[in-house]
Parts: sequence; C-alpha cells; structure tokens
Amino acid sequence: MHNYEHTIVTKQDLSETQTKKVVNKYEDLIKANSGEIIKTEEWGLRNFSHLIKKNKKGFYFHFKFKGSGKVIEELEKAENIDESLIRYLTVRVKEHDLKTNYFEKKIL
Amino acid sequence: MKRSKRDKKKTKNTKNTKLSLFQKPDTKFFKPCPLSGKDAPVIDYKNIKLLKRYLSDSGRILPSRVTSVSLKKQKELSRSIKRARLLALI
Repeated sequence: MHNYEHTIVTKQDLSETQTKKVVNKYEDLIKANSGEIIKTEEWGLRNFSHLIKKNKKGFYFHFKFKGSGKVIEELEKAENIDESLIRYLTVRVKEHDLKTNYFEKKIL
Repeated sequence: MKRSKRDKKKTKNTKNTKLSLFQKPDTKFFKPCPLSGKDAPVIDYKNIKLLKRYLSDSGRILPSRVTSVSLKKQKELSRSIKRARLLALI
C-alpha cells in the first residue's frame, strides 16, 4: 500500500452534472480496486498556461488516496480512453499533506 | 557636483580593493540555499507561487548557479516544475 496523489483535468464545456459523473466514476474505480480515498479536492475552472489540443481552460480535480499499484493501472487504462479528459497526473508521496490547499478560493 | 560623485566612487572602490592576495574579502560570495534549512518552504508541484520564483520570464528553469539552490533541492525543483508544466499550471 502506498500513498498517491492523482489529478485529472476535464474539458471546459462540461456541465456540473457531467463533471460530478466523471469524478464519481473515478472515485468508484479507486474503491473497486481496494483503494481508500482520503480526500478529494476541487480546484475549479482554471486557465491553462498554454493551449492543450486547442483547449484554453479546464476543470481540475485532485484525489488523495491509499492503494496498491494496480489501482493506477486501472485508472490510467480508463483515462486513456475517456474523451472528456485532457490530462492526468499520478504522483507517489510518502505522506499526505492534508493541511495546505494551494488552490483554495479566498473568501472575501 | 562632479567631484563629490568621484569621491563617492573612490570610497566604494577602497572597500573591495585588496592589499594582498591572502587577505580575506569583505563581501560574501557564498549565498546559502534558500530551499534547505529549518524553515524552508516545501517544494511541491501544486505550490505555483514558489516555483514561479525559479523560472525566467519566458518560463525556463533558472540555473542553480544564479539562484544558489543546492543540488539536491534543484533536482526536486526541476522535477516539480516539469510536473506543473504537464498540468499546464505554469
């Protein structure tokens, strides 16, 4: 069992229900492969620093979970086919940092 | 006016001039690494504010000889900058 951080970027033209569906789909995938979700973060709609396949913006979702390497195999297999996703990134970490959220919206 | 300016320059120069080769310099050449030590910030691909400090205006990674980051931390930095680039955060 290792700690992983997983980030996905979805296309801009998805509605709220569609983005929720995408998030739930991957959360279920992690749980189905005996992974344990610790935290999910929503970074919201962000501008890209450069164009990616003619996309200017995207919704960011961030998962922190515990699991074996098989989870990631399954996740990336599903993500490669998924057309609503633009990018994904998995990073293995020693310990989850649950205190700081770099993309939290500042409350005025 | 001109004289006073010249005088100032002269006083500055005298600080850096060495009388002998074996004299220790007054100014420090060595800068400690800003990313290692006790209260150093955490290098992370999500911490864009920190990463942007170590990029040039055109988005290239600055060499450690300019920023005086240690070798270990420079490796960590470049890795996390490349991760942030993949997600189009920087």
